[in-house]
Amino acid sequence: MTETTTIAHPAGAGQPEPGSGGAAYIELVGVSKSFDGALAVNNVDLSIRKGELFALLGASGCGKSTLLRMLSGFEQPTSGDILLEGQSLTGLPANQRPFNMMFQSYALFPHMTVEQNLAFGLKQERMDKREIESRVGEMLERVQMSEYRKRKPDQLSGGQQQRIALARCLVKRPKLLLLDEPMGALDKKLRTRMQLEIANILESVGVTCVMVTHDQEEAMTMANRIAIMDGGRILQVGTPDEIYEQPNCRYTAEFIGSVNLFDGVIVDDEVDYVNIKSPQARNTLHIGHGISGFAGQPVSVAVRPEKIQISLQKPEQAFNCEAGEVDEIAYLGSHSVYHVKLGSGMDVLVTALNDERWAGERLTWQDKVWVYWDEHSAVVLTS
Amino acid sequence: MAQSPGIPRFSRICLSLGFFFLYAPMVVLIVYSFNASERVNIWAGFSTRWYGELFRDDAMMSAMWMSLRLAFATATVSVVFGTLAALVLTRVRNFRTKTLFGGMVTAPLVMPDVITGLSLLLLFVGMANTLGWPAERGFLTIWIAHVTFCMAFVTVVMSSRLRELDRSLEEAAMDLGASRLGTFFQITLPIITPALASGWLLAFTLSLDDLVIASFVAGPASTTLPMVVFSSVRLGLSPQVNALAALLILSVTAVGMLAYLMTLRDERRRQRQPG
Amino acid sequence: MKPAGRRWRLPGQHWLLVIPPYLWLLLFFLAPFAIVFKISLAESTIAQPPYTALYEYVNDVLTLRLSFSNYLFLLTDSLYFDAYVSSLRIAAISTLICLVIGYPIAYGIARAQGPMQSLLLMLVVLPSWTSFLIRIYAWMGILRNNGIINTVLMALGVVDEPVRMMNTELAVYIGIVYTYLPFLVLPLYSNLVKLDNRLLEAATDLGAGPVSRFLRITLPLSMGGVIAGCMLVFIPVVGEFVIPELLGGSETLMIGKVLWGEFFNNRDWPVASAVATVMLVVLLIPISLFHRYQFREMEGED
Repeated sequence: MTETTTIAHPAGAGQPEPGSGGAAYIELVGVSKSFDGALAVNNVDLSIRKGELFALLGASGCGKSTLLRMLSGFEQPTSGDILLEGQSLTGLPANQRPFNMMFQSYALFPHMTVEQNLAFGLKQERMDKREIESRVGEMLERVQMSEYRKRKPDQLSGGQQQRIALARCLVKRPKLLLLDEPMGALDKKLRTRMQLEIANILESVGVTCVMVTHDQEEAMTMANRIAIMDGGRILQVGTPDEIYEQPNCRYTAEFIGSVNLFDGVIVDDEVDYVNIKSPQARNTLHIGHGISGFAGQPVSVAVRPEKIQISLQKPEQAFNCEAGEVDEIAYLGSHSVYHVKLGSGMDVLVTALNDERWAGERLTWQDKVWVYWDEHSAVVLTS
Repeated sequence: MAQSPGIPRFSRICLSLGFFFLYAPMVVLIVYSFNASERVNIWAGFSTRWYGELFRDDAMMSAMWMSLRLAFATATVSVVFGTLAALVLTRVRNFRTKTLFGGMVTAPLVMPDVITGLSLLLLFVGMANTLGWPAERGFLTIWIAHVTFCMAFVTVVMSSRLRELDRSLEEAAMDLGASRLGTFFQITLPIITPALASGWLLAFTLSLDDLVIASFVAGPASTTLPMVVFSSVRLGLSPQVNALAALLILSVTAVGMLAYLMTLRDERRRQRQPG
Repeated sequence: MKPAGRRWRLPGQHWLLVIPPYLWLLLFFLAPFAIVFKISLAESTIAQPPYTALYEYVNDVLTLRLSFSNYLFLLTDSLYFDAYVSSLRIAAISTLICLVIGYPIAYGIARAQGPMQSLLLMLVVLPSWTSFLIRIYAWMGILRNNGIINTVLMALGVVDEPVRMMNTELAVYIGIVYTYLPFLVLPLYSNLVKLDNRLLEAATDLGAGPVSRFLRITLPLSMGGVIAGCMLVFIPVVGEFVIPELLGGSETLMIGKVLWGEFFNNRDWPVASAVATVMLVVLLIPISLFHRYQFREMEGED
């Protein structure tokens, strides 16, 4: 129960991420949380900048919800510290933190009108009645729900409920807004619309925001930066395109989008290129940039399906080029996904745009094909 | 019956027969309460004479007053204790003697009245001998006994309501700055109020209905309505009891119908909502 | 992931929540059983209170007097043994009757929809809100020799002289089923209403007929409700006093009536306590069976 993990990083080690402009606004330093001996969050360091929308992305059970509940104050870290502008929040319960959370179920109070729901948080601050009224009115205006002020939550649609839940948090002008699976209760069609709508509202308010989601599309659409979590740890932090284009480990590469992974060892490790030999590929895998590795190091090479070309003719390159047979075709309208079985038995996914109404050379099952990719299209993963 | 396509025919027959079985005796009772004859089973014309006699019966009236006060006091305290117990069962993580606590909450639901009555009487006698309290048995001792078994029933009602309650409502209130106590009074309590009302009514009727336990723990001077009814019924049928029964059945039916109409209205409103 | 920390931990201010009901129940529910057991080991005397003290402390000598004569008395007089057996038999048979009548009713209500369901549910509960005594009384008027049933039967010429129904075991069964039926229907209903209809559809799809669907899907899944409902009838009926007293005759022997008689008529408190203790021991298994289901239901784990 009593976790005696020493804080691995001394305070102040939470350096801003590379390429960042702002300083840390909220910092998590060596935060761990265990429930009855089971570690749910394991030594997490994180810094969140003022005004950004930060997403914690991971599969269920990865510890992201627990992390969010520690930020909100519903759970206290077993070890480590959470800082707001350098001030420790340890021991401060949820009702005294200047943070507000939008719950997955929205948690709108069913016995109160929309207006009363919004006023609730301000009343707890013993704010002047007229001030409450004007702030509630202003916020309802902003989320375009003014005409619904007298309605009860069960008389609103899902999207309207969500806007009210958001407004109820924002009217408190929190220093940090927490979103727990914000689109979790909406159907798919509404989701896309609300993602943009919410992101627009958040941007216009300029609030710092941490959201938790298991939906990569949602995280990519809404967030400025994303942290990938697994097993209570943070694996990678970066902007959506960094996460997608430069995954730093197999888990991230496989979690975001689909990916082809070749396992192999480094054979040539030069300053401006790397060659890798994999039992899954007949030809050498060639990467057009150097990495900090060594010859003989086991690595994985990740190639996204849309970066692979597919053709009946043999390309004129000796590297990154494999022969195979079309095993499956999934026609998805705008593009098709081809499963190509290589000689080694590996299944390679290739996506190709269907940008012509009738392609002269349309591939079909059992076609002998070549798959190949550019020397800058693959990423080497060392873990 | 067109609204219930889901009920199988066999069940429908059972339901009809079951309801006939449940309600026919009460209808008979109400009809005979307007019988002019003193011989309860021979119809001699319509009359409200027994209602008049009922209200002139001092023993019956004072017992009724006693029972109503008792039921009111019992229901009020049972609701408080029952809600506390339900909060403990649903909200507090396991503590060492929770199993014992759970046993003491569920066992009164089924404990035969004669055992509860006898054991409480012996407790009161023992306490009177050693502590000098309670000096005499009466309203107070019956009230204690009734609270003890009624709170178990209230606990059942309240714990099922609390279990359904979305916990994030309470967390949202805390997140918006309310204290734990403030959350309870501003959020939890208003939401569970209907359940509290039905728990209160349940305890009220249970207390009003109890004969056996009250007979054990009542002193010689205190008599509840069921005790009066029992002693007169034991001697045979009594037209006053018919009148009393009719009044009781009609008032309970009225309350029941009111409750039904209210749930109906709630359901209608919920169905009208968009999305 | 749903963190495990959603329940409050003790200690904290939560013991304030636990203490009042806990103490009340310890004092007024649990402690009395110890006293019943204590007095069952005393002897009856003509005094106030009418039993001997269990121990005496005279001249620095503590004398403990435990009398097992009450229990021996229960063993030797066949009246008590017969009363226990007959109570258990009557309780078991009437529980079975309640189940046979109550199951289809509960099932029907669970399958009804919307306002119909609330109406049916209320119609089942409503009688139990009216006085229990009054409902037994209603049957006295119906079952008497010159009651409604006999009047009708004789008027129709089915029988020449009244059929004796009052003061028989039949009357006791009618009374018990009548008063306890809602107690069985309610838990069974709340269990059946949770049954996912898709399971039955899946079973149909896999080729199960109505009987096999009921026996292999509905019944096993509703077992918890069946047990809770049956125990809610069986246990209190074993100790029932009012129904055998008002509807039963002298040949209907029930232990609740015996206990009442020992206490109020014979004023033999120790024997009454012994009767209660034995009854409690007999009921211990059914009570713990009920507790297991009910506690899980109330605590709402999983």
